[in-house]
Amino acid sequence: MSSLPGRTDDHQWSQQHLSHYVEGDLGRRARRRLGRHAQGCVDCGRGIIAMRALVHMLQGLDGLAGIRAPAGIFDRVRAAGAGGSPGGGWPAPPRSA
Amino acid sequence: MARLPGGRPAAAAETEASLLTRARAGDGDAFEQLAGMHADRLFAVLLRLLGDRSEAEDVAQEVMLRAWQGIARFEGRSDFFTWLYRIAVNEANRSLEKRSRRSASVPIDAEASQLRASRRDEPPRQAENNELRMALDRALADLPPPYRTAIVLRDVEGLSTREAAEITGVSEAAFKSRLHHARLRVRAAIGDAALITAGG
Repeated sequence: MSSLPGRTDDHQWSQQHLSHYVEGDLGRRARRRLGRHAQGCVDCGRGIIAMRALVHMLQGLDGLAGIRAPAGIFDRVRAAGAGGSPGGGWPAPPRSA
Repeated sequence: MARLPGGRPAAAAETEASLLTRARAGDGDAFEQLAGMHADRLFAVLLRLLGDRSEAEDVAQEVMLRAWQGIARFEGRSDFFTWLYRIAVNEANRSLEKRSRRSASVPIDAEASQLRASRRDEPPRQAENNELRMALDRALADLPPPYRTAIVLRDVEGLSTREAAEITGVSEAAFKSRLHHARLRVRAAIGDAALITAGG
């Protein structure tokens, strides 16, 4: 671990902004600061790679892609109407405030 | 122009605007068509947030009821789907609070497991990925609800930071911070080595 002045600040700051860096959310100066630090810091360099991989995996989650909403998703709305039973038609129109 | 989930074309936006006008005037069929456009994705989000199909079905019905009850007061200051998702997130959180004393984590729904199980004949590399996916599902399920919601809306659903912040009712800066901490937790749960291997 280096004890160069400013190193600890840079490291902590970089660790706190890895997600923003991966997101492309940092301004030019901040991005350069983090990038420069990561070049010499194994932890932050790995952190960037791991964070990128994680976001990529999360974006690719498709385990629920084939899910369809249940057919009775509007049943409660209809049940709130006249007759109080599913399929009993729509309730009276809501009134504007 | 309003952005629609799934990148639907402008014609769909016009249809949505027309349906919204009719729904706000009390046309139930228009409301069903309008809300129905978002129902599948909404339900998938609820399933991801709640991890239990029957609970997600119950909450989905409640979301639609509340949306119908509030549609006349919807002023269009946000996109309809943003408004609907906000109701869904609030209702999911309410449901999670109710059962928070019963269980510390969200169960992994059999639905997702079945989809994974159908891929058992795939080669070893795919099997490794499936293992990682299961670990990812578990890590997501173990997150506190606000963190899980942040990841589901931003990373899984692909909503913009602005949209996700609006849905969760926090500033964009607060949302980014929440998302960062959520990702850190998931990253810690899975481990850098596994992530880097998967990413390589």
